[in-house]
Amino acid sequence: MARVALDLPLRANLSALDNIALIPLYQRHYGAAESTRQALAMLDRLGHGEIAPLRDPDMTPAQRFVTQLARALILKRPRLVIDRPGAMLYDVPYPRFIRQLAAQAELTGTWEIYDFSWNQVLYNQALYSE
Amino acid sequence: MHFLAASIESLGAKIVGWFVVGYGIFAFLTQAVLLLLHRSTWNRATYDVVIKQVYFTAIQILPVFLGYVWVISWLLISIILSTARDFGLTEFASEMTIRVLVLELLPFITALFIALRSGSAMNTEVALMRVNNELDALAHCKVPPMQLEFLPRLIGGVVSVIALACLAGLLALLLAYLSMYGLTPAGLELFTRTIAKIFDFRIVAGLLVKCALFGLAVTLIPITAGLETPKKLFMVPVSVLRGMMRVFFVIVVIEVVSLALKYI
Repeated sequence: MARVALDLPLRANLSALDNIALIPLYQRHYGAAESTRQALAMLDRLGHGEIAPLRDPDMTPAQRFVTQLARALILKRPRLVIDRPGAMLYDVPYPRFIRQLAAQAELTGTWEIYDFSWNQVLYNQALYSE
Repeated sequence: MHFLAASIESLGAKIVGWFVVGYGIFAFLTQAVLLLLHRSTWNRATYDVVIKQVYFTAIQILPVFLGYVWVISWLLISIILSTARDFGLTEFASEMTIRVLVLELLPFITALFIALRSGSAMNTEVALMRVNNELDALAHCKVPPMQLEFLPRLIGGVVSVIALACLAGLLALLLAYLSMYGLTPAGLELFTRTIAKIFDFRIVAGLLVKCALFGLAVTLIPITAGLETPKKLFMVPVSVLRGMMRVFFVIVVIEVVSLALKYI
């Protein structure tokens, strides 16, 4: 299971691209160039290739979330759990934002969102607005 | 009676604390050495990070460091030479310079320089990584922090201290020669003979081991101090304070033991 959560932050002194490229580099032992290419492809797939050179403190909450999501997706685990997205995505209407990202990613596997029950209304609104 | 019991209790707690810290450092070093011997550690990614660390620790500071070494060496050589002249001991001046500067003072200053510049930064960074859960995040992604973060810093520290101490020693030798004989090759034979007499195998090996231990001290201790930090942001300065005090203590112990082994 791959998790996207507030308690699993990015490495602060690495760029978004390097944070994602660490996975193919250390887990699958690809070279630096190939790992970077895979990381950039993942960010492009999520529609946020432009955030590649940003470091954690320079990102908006949404950009940080996208990087964390890309890092989780590149792990290629069968389940993806997004843990309390409201704590990370306080600058965008997040149910719709996550739905858009999921549509863009076009990846296999299950995405699960764990959120507080009182936020259910936000998901309902996102459904009705589409 | 109560005061005595409290004092003994506090002393005991301190001694136990020191043992715990020592064990933690030793366990971490063992883990690093075992990983170092593992073939899978030596991939392109690790090499890249090691090179980056050597660049940040040694090459980036080179002009400033050599500037300091130049000033300190020139001052001490001048003092040694004028004192030797006053006492009519000029023939011992070159040996004295090499023994004081190249073998003892410059490696010590190099270690202090790296400790203050890189050791404190490492301690802070590792402490912040721990407080911010970045190490947990790496573990979740199955990226080994030892391979990515710690081992390259250890290797970089050891390589940097050895390389900078050697460079400082060479600069001091050059300055010593120029101060004694000026820009003539007249004293070259006598000077090189003195160097050859002092730098036997035992001394060179001792110097290298001492520099390697200095390099380990200025990296290993800050990293382990950072890893001990409780997950509270206000504890980061305390962690750096503790780590740097330990580094200073260990550097002094290494220097004292090295002097005792050589001259007692």
